[in-house]
Amino acid sequence: MPAYAEDHPAIGTYPAGSSGPSVFIGISVPRTGTYAVQGEDELKGYELAVEHINSGHELIKKISPKTKKGVLGKEVKYGVADSAAKPNEAVQAQQRFISENKAIVITGGTSSAVAVALNKLAQREKVLFVCGISGSNDTTGKDCVRYGFRQNFYGQTAAAAISPVLIKTFGKNKKAAYLTPDYTYGHTVTKSMQDQLAEAGWTTVTNQVSPLGAPDFSSYLLNVANSGADVLINVNWGHDAVLSIQQAKQFGVLDKMKLVVPYQVPFLARETGGLMQGVYAATDYWWSIEDKYPLAKMFNEAFEKKYNYKPEWGAANAYISFAHWARMVEEAGTFYPPDVIKTYEKEEVIPSLVGDVHYRKEDHQCVRPVIIVKGKEQKDMKGKEDYYDIVEIVPGAGLMQKPDAFGCNLGDYT
Amino acid sequence: MLKQRSFLIETLTALGLILAPFVLPHLGFAPNTVNRILVWGLFGLGFDILFGFTGLLSFGQSAFYGTGGFVAAYLLTRAGFPNVMLALLIGMIAAAVVGYLVGLIALRRTGIYFAMITVAIAEVFFFVEFNPLSGWTGGENGLPGVPTPSFNLGFTTVHFTTGWSLYQFLALCYFVGVVIALRIVRSPVGAILSAIRDNPLRATAVGHNIHGYKLAAFVIAAAYAGFAGGLLGVLQAFMPPDAFTFDTSGQLVMQTAIGGRGTLFGPLVGAAVWLFLQDFLQAAVGLGAAWKLVLGIVFVLLVCFLRRGIVGGLEDLYRKIVGKRSKPSEVSPPAVASSVGAANQPKAAQASTAAPISARARESATRIGPILQATGLTKRYGGLLANSDIDFTVLHGELRGIIGPNGAGKSTFFKMLTCEVPPTSGTIVFEGRDITGTSVTNVCQLGLTKSYQVNQLFTGLTVRENIVIAALAKLRGKFRLDLFRSLDSIPGLNAQVARTLELVNLAARPDTPVSELAYGEKRRLEIGLALATSPSLLLLDEPLAGMSPQERVETVKLLKSISRDRTMIIIDHDMDALFELAERVTVLQEGRVLIEGTPDEIKKSTAVQEAYLGGVQGVLDA
Amino acid sequence: MFNWPNFVSQVFNGLALGALLALISSGLTIIYGTLGVLNLAHGAMFMLGGYAGYAAFQYTGSFIIAVIAGSLFVMVVGVLMERIIIRHFYQRPHEDQLLVTFGIGICFVELVRLVFSSDSKLVPPPPLFQGITSLGFLFYPTYRLAVVGIVAIALGVLFVVLYRTRLGMIVRAGIEDSVMVDSLGINVYRVFMIVFGIGAMAAGFAGIINAPVVSLTPGVGDDILVETFVVVVIGGVGSFPGAILGGLIAGEIISITSIFDPGYAYVMLFAAMTLVLVVRPHGLLGVQGRE
Repeated sequence: MPAYAEDHPAIGTYPAGSSGPSVFIGISVPRTGTYAVQGEDELKGYELAVEHINSGHELIKKISPKTKKGVLGKEVKYGVADSAAKPNEAVQAQQRFISENKAIVITGGTSSAVAVALNKLAQREKVLFVCGISGSNDTTGKDCVRYGFRQNFYGQTAAAAISPVLIKTFGKNKKAAYLTPDYTYGHTVTKSMQDQLAEAGWTTVTNQVSPLGAPDFSSYLLNVANSGADVLINVNWGHDAVLSIQQAKQFGVLDKMKLVVPYQVPFLARETGGLMQGVYAATDYWWSIEDKYPLAKMFNEAFEKKYNYKPEWGAANAYISFAHWARMVEEAGTFYPPDVIKTYEKEEVIPSLVGDVHYRKEDHQCVRPVIIVKGKEQKDMKGKEDYYDIVEIVPGAGLMQKPDAFGCNLGDYT
Repeated sequence: MLKQRSFLIETLTALGLILAPFVLPHLGFAPNTVNRILVWGLFGLGFDILFGFTGLLSFGQSAFYGTGGFVAAYLLTRAGFPNVMLALLIGMIAAAVVGYLVGLIALRRTGIYFAMITVAIAEVFFFVEFNPLSGWTGGENGLPGVPTPSFNLGFTTVHFTTGWSLYQFLALCYFVGVVIALRIVRSPVGAILSAIRDNPLRATAVGHNIHGYKLAAFVIAAAYAGFAGGLLGVLQAFMPPDAFTFDTSGQLVMQTAIGGRGTLFGPLVGAAVWLFLQDFLQAAVGLGAAWKLVLGIVFVLLVCFLRRGIVGGLEDLYRKIVGKRSKPSEVSPPAVASSVGAANQPKAAQASTAAPISARARESATRIGPILQATGLTKRYGGLLANSDIDFTVLHGELRGIIGPNGAGKSTFFKMLTCEVPPTSGTIVFEGRDITGTSVTNVCQLGLTKSYQVNQLFTGLTVRENIVIAALAKLRGKFRLDLFRSLDSIPGLNAQVARTLELVNLAARPDTPVSELAYGEKRRLEIGLALATSPSLLLLDEPLAGMSPQERVETVKLLKSISRDRTMIIIDHDMDALFELAERVTVLQEGRVLIEGTPDEIKKSTAVQEAYLGGVQGVLDA
Repeated sequence: MFNWPNFVSQVFNGLALGALLALISSGLTIIYGTLGVLNLAHGAMFMLGGYAGYAAFQYTGSFIIAVIAGSLFVMVVGVLMERIIIRHFYQRPHEDQLLVTFGIGICFVELVRLVFSSDSKLVPPPPLFQGITSLGFLFYPTYRLAVVGIVAIALGVLFVVLYRTRLGMIVRAGIEDSVMVDSLGINVYRVFMIVFGIGAMAAGFAGIINAPVVSLTPGVGDDILVETFVVVVIGGVGSFPGAILGGLIAGEIISITSIFDPGYAYVMLFAAMTLVLVVRPHGLLGVQGRE
């Protein structure tokens, strides 16, 4: 038991959580509510990662070469709680996992409001938080913490990646209408898009801010329809995105203006039934990149074998954020959180499903590429899950803002 | 003896809270779960006073929970306020103020309307939190980073962090909450709140301003909610916007119903069951998202079969086993209110048998001239003329009878005199004061009340408690917020109650619940309720109705003894009894005064005989 | 964002929204008016109608059958609910009725979640009403346009039932004075059952008619329930015309406020309700009496 022999002071759930033969991970994903579909996909990614870690799967070994079976030889166990995409539920569940199960790492997300709340919880409890899905600038921006890490990109990055494509496609000096969900994710993505597009003379004619889980978008869409916009930029996520796009079609909005989804939503193409054809979006992962990335191919195969569908980016992010964590612990040779954090902060270039990446030490954000996709026409689809063409894979380094641009202050190690 | 009893619950609560950290972990409760249960329990204390004790089912408590929580969290996070306790108190006050304003609107209506309005108002708060105020509340993001409390005791600083450490602080808050809640339910205000739950109409009629008391209960519930909301932020280091959602109100209602309403501890037990099942079903049984369905079914079954929830059910079970049905159990705060007086009642009763019922009664007997003068009293319901141009005068000390065939407008006439319904025209002067158009409460406070034709009792309370409610109106006025006063410390209350019980011959059964009384006893209690307000003019609407001949004889005797000290007007169909009792009799027919005179004059009047049974001779002499 | 085309569009949209609210609320209000029970599971029944219709549509592919199945299923659920549970609550306090219907509503929602999962379900509009209609001043989904007509017909049928049949007479008399109806020797309990069934059916019908408009989730009835409360309070509890008037007013308030900022739509809606309560506590068309 090498991890146990070290002389570290107790902190958070260390060493209580890692002194036995197994370690515990607290997972909170939305299984009910607006983001439930995406939450289930994300959960499958976590489950597959844990399975692979425990069995010492080939894919994990590619990402974390020192892994044999488990993490530092300890079996990984986990608990799952439904967050319903509500910060309150997530915080409750994770507090329970930390105090009852001595969780050594917590994860979850799918809503940036949840991610931000868990960030603060992680910092207070001194337990690592690796977030699965969170697209707000704040998560590693003004609400960043020492104990939180994010693998996926976010609003500002998505905007920086997709804007040149939009300007190239639609031209300069266009009028844009926005549909924005009313929380940290929506506000920051919309703001980033507006800033990026303004450079090409684009203006915002209306920004319709709707609550999470709105049952009807007709009022918002009528305002959009009568705004005279050329492009509709829909920032909504989960079921809200599905519903707002379907209704936009019904109100003739999609015939009047072009739809853009700056941040692709898992299963959106399937659920909107063809409405994503020709639509541009930025995404963390799309399965057809497997031609370029062998690790992605391995992941797709393992995932599809187990769950009978192609993984979406939620599952991919969940998987890789666990795999990275496992790597960091193996590299650190201990579960002692400050040491694990410092290993992340080495800024070592490590493999992921979308090529080599690294975590920035200043804000704990993973610097990784953004994939721009465009919805395929029905006739071009080669299979029932072949929804998107890969337009471009944009390297992350040039996209991201400077680490301190959003006011990140990580806080203490102990 | 009495003091010991009432401190028993406090002591047990303290003991339970101290033992909890040693016992609960073995039952599978994590410290965080226990802390959450305490917050819900504290939230529920106020709600139980509103719902369990006052009978007002609000589905909008989230508004106050959120208000208190966000005010406190805002002060602690954004405004950089250093003192957690002070922030919590400010949050509580803010919630109470909001509660007062909301109560002004919501309490315009009762029952189902009230429930709907509270839902709607809570939704307003939800939307306001998310939109106009999202700059302050963080909108969907909530307010992360709420600190935990620490106290500088001079020699050392106590800092409460998480888990069992924070538990100590929360347990202390809960304990103080319980002590205050117990004081409130044992106070005169608490007694009146129960009366409002059981029979708001009668609570009004015996002279309580029930709107004021309901508002008080609403504000109390809001204050508890506000404080608990603040604690939620402290507990989670994060003030969630969820606090404002309808789900929060719904969960509180369900937990209270599961645990047992009207027991104060019900919400705590309900929260324990809820959170335990949530963990258990999700984690141990692996039901995943279906856990809420199981809870929903459990809840429906409890509402169907165990009205008083778990605590109430245990209480009933305990009583059944112990076999002391009328004795209150130790864990039952509502019953405690009765035990306060019950314990020393017999002694007090003996000591005060000779005491006069009130100064006013004596005084009035010495006065002369008219006590009540109604002029041109008319009541019209749409096209129907119930009373028409009635002139009616009763002198001090008189015992007046009113008779008339069915539909003569007798009850309407009484209702106008006691100001239950306003007359269409005409005036009523009572003791030289024009009371036309005032409220039934005010009139009762002036010394005019009535006993009802159909019993209007506080059916959930005991005989003694019923009388206490009525006596309180006289002794405390129509509205007074003596929330922390013990019932015992009200001068003259015990004497007044004992004397009334003696008068209506119920002194032997003070602790019997109303539901167990025989019909005749209920009628006497009905009269007792009116009497306990020490009226100088007492109206009795068919006091003999439905009684057996034996009971009638007793009741007539009772009425005679009552009439020695006060002026009375009696409506009844039993003319023998009425002619025996009354000095003068007024006959109403078709809403008008047919004739007025001594019993003998009435008996001889052919007009009266014709009015009854179309002039069949001898009916009245029979 | 104010301009005239938008104003006209929103006013029209408010009409469509209001019509639907009116139909759901009228179900709630006649149940309340007759039985004296406020059915907090009414929103869940709206949701059930949608899901029953969705299931029927999956099997048959026919929208007409989906509508019939959705309405009948919820009517049967309503009748069973009344027979098995609600009738035991007529003698119990209002609070207990609220609690039990609230609990039943949660059970329905969670049961549907268990069977159909939380994924949103889509019922496509019938072929006849697919597409977009240009009304000159705006493009409007043909189906939504049709909904206004369908709801108007449904309200018309309800009106005929309530005002032109013997059952309707009894129901309306019951709203005015339930004690009197009781004493007329009418089997009130049978009437209660029928009324509960009809009220539930109105919600179920609205649920399936609405399904192609917003797509289904288990929580679709929760928000509607609170809106129907506001409608009923504005219109007057127990008043059928009040429900229609209240529904239209609520729809317009939401839509017109949305022109300026949709975020304030509900704040304005509840402000209007508060105003009505202060000025006319019994609602615009309500009668004094029932509490």
